[in-house]
Amino acid sequence: MATGLDQAVGMSLVVFSLLLFTYYSVWVIVLPFIDSDHVLHKCFLPREYSVILPGMAVLILLICSGAFIAIVMWKNRRQKKVD
Amino acid sequence: MTKLLQWLLGVSLVLTAWALVSFDLLELSLPPAYREMAWPMPLYLLVSFGCYSLATVGYRVATFNDCVDAAKELQVQIKEAKADLRKKGLKM
Repeated sequence: MATGLDQAVGMSLVVFSLLLFTYYSVWVIVLPFIDSDHVLHKCFLPREYSVILPGMAVLILLICSGAFIAIVMWKNRRQKKVD
Repeated sequence: MTKLLQWLLGVSLVLTAWALVSFDLLELSLPPAYREMAWPMPLYLLVSFGCYSLATVGYRVATFNDCVDAAKELQVQIKEAKADLRKKGLKM
């Protein structure tokens, strides 16, 4: 069974992703149709960051997964040599 | 039409629509707000897919459960298989 900690972690993941989705949706889809002197614009970074930040996140994710795969394969190869 | 061709057709249709709006290829004189909205759409789709995946993983973690009935059924099947094998002369 899922313990209380599991439920807390899972629900916080769900809530975090929903918040991120709504924030990003407002940023990308709603904001171009609102006057640039509106109060809502103060809650968001400049528009180019809506592309740069996710791009950086994708890049970091790719680098991390690539490094992980490389390390695992390297360890496997070394073990085979020892055998 | 194979599945691959269907997918390629759909993807190319979406791509052309996206390029038409975001680069204003046909000189449609759309308001600049539309172009500004359409331009980061691929990344937006990627982000929404990531959010969906994260939410799915979180939901499954929160509602992870034991399959009690399936475990009982499996135990019964193991017993049946052991009895059957013993009857056929296998020593365990």
